Parts: sequence; structure tokens; C-alpha cells
Amino acid sequence: MLTSELIRPRLRFAGSTLSIEMVDEQDASLLQTAQELIDILQQQVGHAREAWEEALAAYEGARVDYIVLRGLAKVLTDAATFTPLETPFPPARLREQLFAHGPVFRDSDLFHPQTRQKVLHEAAGEFGLSSEQVDTMLFADRHASYRLMDVGPAWTPAALLARYNLELARGVLYWASHITIEASSSYKDLWRYIKLFKLMFWAQPKQGGGYRIDLDGPISPFVSSTLRYGRQMAAFLPALLLCDRWQLLAHVRPPQATREMLYHLDYTCALRSHFKGSGTFDSRLEADFASEFEQKMGNKRGHWRLTRESEVLLLGDTVMIPDFILVDEQDDNRKIMIELVGFWHPQYLRRKIEKVRAANCAHLLLLVYQGLNITADAFQEAASEVIFFQQKPVLKEVMETVEHMAKRVYGPRVKRKRARTPRSAPHPE
Amino acid sequence: MSDTSQASVFFQGGTLVLQHLSASEQVPPPFKLIKARWRCEAYHYGSLLPWLREHGIRNDIPRWRHLSLALYETREPHDYQLAALDAWNQGGKRGSIILPTGAGKTFVAIQAISQVNASTVVIVPTLALLHQWYARLVNAFHIDIGVYYSGEKHILPITVTTYHSAGDLISEYGNSFQLLLCDELHHLPAKTWGEAALMAPAPFRLGLTATYPEEQEQTNGRWRVDELLGPIVYTQRIESLVGKQLAEYRTQRIRVDLTAEERRHYDADYAIYMGFVRSRQLRQRYGAGWHRELMRLSASDPQARQALLARQRLLDIIWSCEEKFAVLDALLREHDGERILVFTASNAVAYRIAHQWLVPVISFETGVAERKHILDAFQTGDYRVIVTSRVLNEGVDVPEAKIAIVLGGGSSQREYIQRLGRILRKHEQREAFLFEVLVRKTIEEGKVQRRHVPREQR
Repeated sequence: MLTSELIRPRLRFAGSTLSIEMVDEQDASLLQTAQELIDILQQQVGHAREAWEEALAAYEGARVDYIVLRGLAKVLTDAATFTPLETPFPPARLREQLFAHGPVFRDSDLFHPQTRQKVLHEAAGEFGLSSEQVDTMLFADRHASYRLMDVGPAWTPAALLARYNLELARGVLYWASHITIEASSSYKDLWRYIKLFKLMFWAQPKQGGGYRIDLDGPISPFVSSTLRYGRQMAAFLPALLLCDRWQLLAHVRPPQATREMLYHLDYTCALRSHFKGSGTFDSRLEADFASEFEQKMGNKRGHWRLTRESEVLLLGDTVMIPDFILVDEQDDNRKIMIELVGFWHPQYLRRKIEKVRAANCAHLLLLVYQGLNITADAFQEAASEVIFFQQKPVLKEVMETVEHMAKRVYGPRVKRKRARTPRSAPHPE
Repeated sequence: MSDTSQASVFFQGGTLVLQHLSASEQVPPPFKLIKARWRCEAYHYGSLLPWLREHGIRNDIPRWRHLSLALYETREPHDYQLAALDAWNQGGKRGSIILPTGAGKTFVAIQAISQVNASTVVIVPTLALLHQWYARLVNAFHIDIGVYYSGEKHILPITVTTYHSAGDLISEYGNSFQLLLCDELHHLPAKTWGEAALMAPAPFRLGLTATYPEEQEQTNGRWRVDELLGPIVYTQRIESLVGKQLAEYRTQRIRVDLTAEERRHYDADYAIYMGFVRSRQLRQRYGAGWHRELMRLSASDPQARQALLARQRLLDIIWSCEEKFAVLDALLREHDGERILVFTASNAVAYRIAHQWLVPVISFETGVAERKHILDAFQTGDYRVIVTSRVLNEGVDVPEAKIAIVLGGGSSQREYIQRLGRILRKHEQREAFLFEVLVRKTIEEGKVQRRHVPREQR
């Protein structure tokens, strides 16, 4: 992450709103600068971190755009791996041995017969090393001496500029006390990251779909506008970028501001996430279920459409996102949610059962792997239906239960008149 | 309240949260219903215990451990120290003790930790104090002591942290400590520095200071010190409990010249730097803030950038010119066998000296354990020289040092006096020397003249 002094000069104030000046990712001279920095980094592989920093200072020279240069370099440095030089003895031991003789001098005199060279030589002998080795290893545990082992991602100039812009936006959030976001897809990733960064949220469904989510931390309600969670909020930002249509409003108080400012971002900005969205399927089991459904029930062979994770069950301060939702082709309100409980760690399962109980949700169908050490009792208090399976869920049995549930929850299905369009026409989605 | 048989309370990010108690229950303050959960600041833990017991609410908060500490303290306690401890014990192991500087606050704290004999977190304002506490605790208990600050994070049953880092530590591990100890507690009203005490559930609390905050400083609109730590339980105001005289000392300024080549570079850089400052009249226009203005300009104005770079280069020349190292070499030879502290303006120069003369260096990179080792070995005489940049500046006692060599540093008066004080702490009846090495005809001489030390402060 960028340090405060690399962010502050790029903040722009206008009334009560705050923005940060990003760089033009298509700018030819900036692209060239980015390329040159990447080249320097690559030349430094195997060398000390100190050397990389010296090379940067030399490259920077007297350029006035050094705030940008240092920002780009910081992005590169953070993504790179520097590791300590391997030494047969801890450097601290070498120091202890040698410093017991200090101060030593280059030339001997009457009172100082031991020269530096001689002390070094004798210590080297004791450790079974050469004098030069001892000399190099003496401070090998300083970060400045760490060796650049890996440059991280395969940087392109465009990717570096894009990432720098993202880091600038994150930088603003260091000073955030509270953020409100709106999002309308990819919830699974969103919740996962909110949890990961130990933020607290409060979500409310929005009219017309999606959710409005307030984010802060546990102590926030008691300590007004604490900046304690700013770093977590900054870390979280790329997760929001995984959503399709989103917006963010942050309450921020950067050091040079005299009052609280507002910072706004939405999906129309050019920022891109470097976080990974979860794959289409969390497990083989889910993938198999989806493909079997497609084979046997897809293409309008039934009246159900299988969709993935577009609904969130809000359970107080936690959420549940069922794996699949079956939506009736003729009536979008008829929905059955399906959650596959496969091969999981017992603790995960306990939490899952708690969630299901809390959901108390009549249109949730659980498909539970029999091999798991749980019985129907575990789900007793839940309103949900449970089907146990051995190797994989039996689709026929699942669909029968779904029909049964739909009838119970939504009442009998009203047969509408056939639509004019032929049934084989592709669905508009 | 209705059924609380399933209810429990747990610690989350500095708050206490009730579980399986619905929003419709009548839960008394300090709990507040926030986002469908009953929640309050963790410092209420001690006072909530009776209520939790009365309602049979399962207590999942404490993760602290009982310890079996052995005390290896050899100092005899003073009467007032014992009285302070008694008062704190009588107050239910909560509250603050006010003792004048030098009256042995740390000693009282170590006794308190030993009596509680359970996991403890100690919060201090500066890194120097963190190092000092670490060393004292290791010596007192002969166990590994944890430290939690920007440089190192080892959490152990007894852990020392800074007010700056304490919030993160407590937010995550607050329920791992039964005793919360705030050194220099007058920092608690500061903007975020009180948050750690607010977020810790520790039922036992001890605050230490020589200057308890005044009534109007107590509240910052969010918390009061006595609410977070408990009331003042003991005050000892005699300012001169422990007499601390300064030894006689002599300051010797040694002036050196730049080599011809260094001088050529220096003059060229000086012309660029001062030329710009003068042509823009920065000093006249911006007063004390002129340097910040130069920094600001340098991000857009190429000349300002050149001036700033020139300034950096000329400082580098002053800080590491050949003759300074020659003088250092000579002084180290002349004062063979003496305990010597060498102060440098930059970290890079400190490491260069350590490497060349094979003497230990203490910098912000030095971990607590190695730092303690170096200071201990300096005390026993195994190490005769320590080189350091600015990290020894505050609150660290190195009484054995009788010679300080200052190779460079800022012009701040405070720093100067602290450096003097360090080597001049009375220890044996011996005269101390302070050598200040300056480069003739450079901005360094100007700095020294500006640094006027009033006589009475010596």
C-alpha cells in the first residue's frame, strides 16, 4: 500500500467532497516511465534491496514527478519478494563475536596491535568462513541487505499504471471512518472479503434489486469517526470492484482536512480489481450438479431455470448465499434455493447448520452428503427441507422435492396460456 | 429478562457482544442494540460480571492465563512504593498511582504484575520506553517477554506495546490480558491513544504517571481517564525523592575542514540551494514554514526540486566527510578503554561506522532482544562503544558512558540537552566529555550557533 506522503499531494478538495488525482493509463510518457521502472526492477533480481533503492534514486534524478515515480516504485516493491541472504550462522552471532573486539582500526599502533583485518580473519577462521564472507554477512539480516528474489506478477506498463490508480483510491480510504456501498451482484466475494478484513456490515435490500451495505468496525458506534478501520476498508476496495454495478460513499478525514469529507466512487471509474473472484463453482459437486441439470432439465425441458448465487439471505450480522436458485420460468416469484453441503470440515458444517437454522427459510433445500457425520436431527429446527445423498444428489429426487416445496410455499402452480414465442427460442438472458 | 439459558457473551474487536439474546429483550446499559446485536465497549467487563452471573449468561470472554511468575527483583522497595501497591490492591486492583519522575514507577508496576500473576499488557508512549520496559521485565521475571510495535510482533503472556500499536493488539487479542498497565497515562486523552484501554476487557487496571491530567484535559468528549482505569489510588508529590545530580562535564568542539573536492561539491550545491531560497525569498515569505513550502514546490517547480536535492547532497557531505571519520578514529584510539557513545545524523552513517570499526549499532531496525544485549554488554564492559543515530535520544539510561561523540544531528535544543544528559548522569565522581565534531564554513556551524543552551538547563 502507498504511504501517506505519496497520497496526500494528490488529494483534491472541493467543498465537502474529496477526490484523488489519478494518472492517465494511456499516457505515452507515463507508459514509458512505467516500462523503465519495470526494466530496472528486473535488472535488480538477485541484488540487495538497497541497490534497487539506489537505482530508483538515480532514475528519479531531478524529475519533479517524483511523487508518481515513487508511487509506481512502491507498487512494484510491495509486489516483489525480498528474502534474507542465507548464512551458515545468524549474523547476530557474527556481530557478537566481532564487536567484542571493537573498536578496531585499519592500522595497528602500540596500543592497538589488532587491525580490523586481523580480527576479521581470526573470527572467519573460527566460523570456517573467509574474511570477505564474514564482511558481507555481518549485517545480512538488515532489510536493506535482503535480496530481490521475485518481481511478482508479470508487470506490463499498463497494468502498473492501473494498479497505481487503484492504490491511490485505496489510499483515500486510510482516513475513512465509515463507508456505504451499493452492489447488485457477486455477493459471495463481497461477503467473503468483508469477513476477511474483519469489517462489520449492515445490509438492506434496495428497491429494484441489490443491496445497500454500511461498513464499519465493532468499536465504531462507540468512538465516533474512528479511523481505526481505514486500513481494512482500503484493503477491501478491490473486492467491491468485482461487482458489476456498484457505488461507494466514504466518510473520510485526511490529515490536512479540517472537517469530515465525502469520497465517492462508482462502477463507471476505470479501476480494476487484482483480487480473484471465486470460480464459477466452489466445488466439483456443484459443477456436476449444474451440468447434470443442464443436460436433463435444461433447454426448457422443465419449467425451472437454474441460476447461481444471485440471492443473499441476510441473517442479522451474517449472510448466507445459497449455491443455486431455481426460478420458475413463468413466475419469477416462485423460487427454491438450493444449498449443497458437501465434503467439509466439521467446523464449517457447524456454522452452516447454525446459519440454516437462523435462516428459518421454507424455500431452502439442503442437499447433504450422507458421509458427513450429521443426522437429520441437526437440521431439525430449520424450516428447510433436507435430502441426504451418497455419491451425488439424485436429480429426479431433487426435482420432485422442489415441486413439492414450491407447491407448499407458493401454492399450486397456475398454468398460463402458452406464450406465442416458440418454447425453443433462446431465453433473453 | 426472559429466557437467558442459551445466552452467552463474547469478545469481538474491542466490544462485548451478547449472543442468543433477541433484540426485544430488555438489556440494561451500557449495552446498546447495534445492528441487531447487543454490544458495549469491552472496558465495562469488570463491572458487568455480577450482571452476567445473575442471569446465568455464559462468559466466553477471558482468554487470559494464570502465570506462575517468580520475581528476581533485588531492589528493596521504599515505603511509599509499598503504600502505593497496598492502595491499589485495596481498590480492587484498579486505579492510578501518581509518583514523581525517578521514584521507581516501573518497580511498583513489576510488583503489581507479580501479585496479579496473570497475563498482562503494558502500554507505553515511546519505543525507547518499550525497550526499557522489555529489559526490566526480562530481568525481573526471567521469562520471554512479548513486544508488539511496528517493528516486531510477538504476543506472549506479558507483552509490551506502544499507545500507537496498542489499538490493533487489543482489538484482536484484548481478551488475552487480565491486567492492563498504562505507563505515562496522561497520554490517554489523546485522540486515538485511549482506544486501547476502551477496547480491553481486562478487569485489573493500573495507570502510572508523574502528571495526572487536569480535570479539563480528562475528557476529550469520549472517555474519562478515571472511567477507563479507575480512580487515583495513591499520590506522592515530593518532587525530589531521588536526587539526580548531573556530573561535571566539559564540551569540546572539534572543527574540521572539507577536502578540496568535498568543498567544491559543497559550494556548488550550496549555491543552488541558497540561490533558490533567496531568489524566492522563502524565509521572508513563509517564516518557519519555509522548508515545507520548498518541499511542496519541489513537486512542480524544477528549480525547487534542484534546490531540495542540492540540500540533501550538502547534508550528506557534512554528515560523512572524510575528516569527521578521521577525528572519530583518533578519538576512539585516544579514549581506549572508556565507554563511548557515538551519535550520527543518519542511519546509513551509523551502520558504516559499525561496519568499519566493528562496534555495535542501535537503530530503529534493532530488535528488542539485540538492543538489550548491546546495552547489557555495554554496562558490563564487553562492548566499549555504541554507535546510534537518534534512537537513544529519550529516556534511556547509559550511566557507564563517560564520553559522547556527536558527529551530526538536528538543531533541536531538546535533542541536544538529552544527549548531554545521557552521558552526564552522575555515576562515580568522574568528569564527562562531550565532543562535538563540526565542519567549518558550512551550514552546520550556523546550526550550532542557533542551538543556545541556557545555563540553568545544564
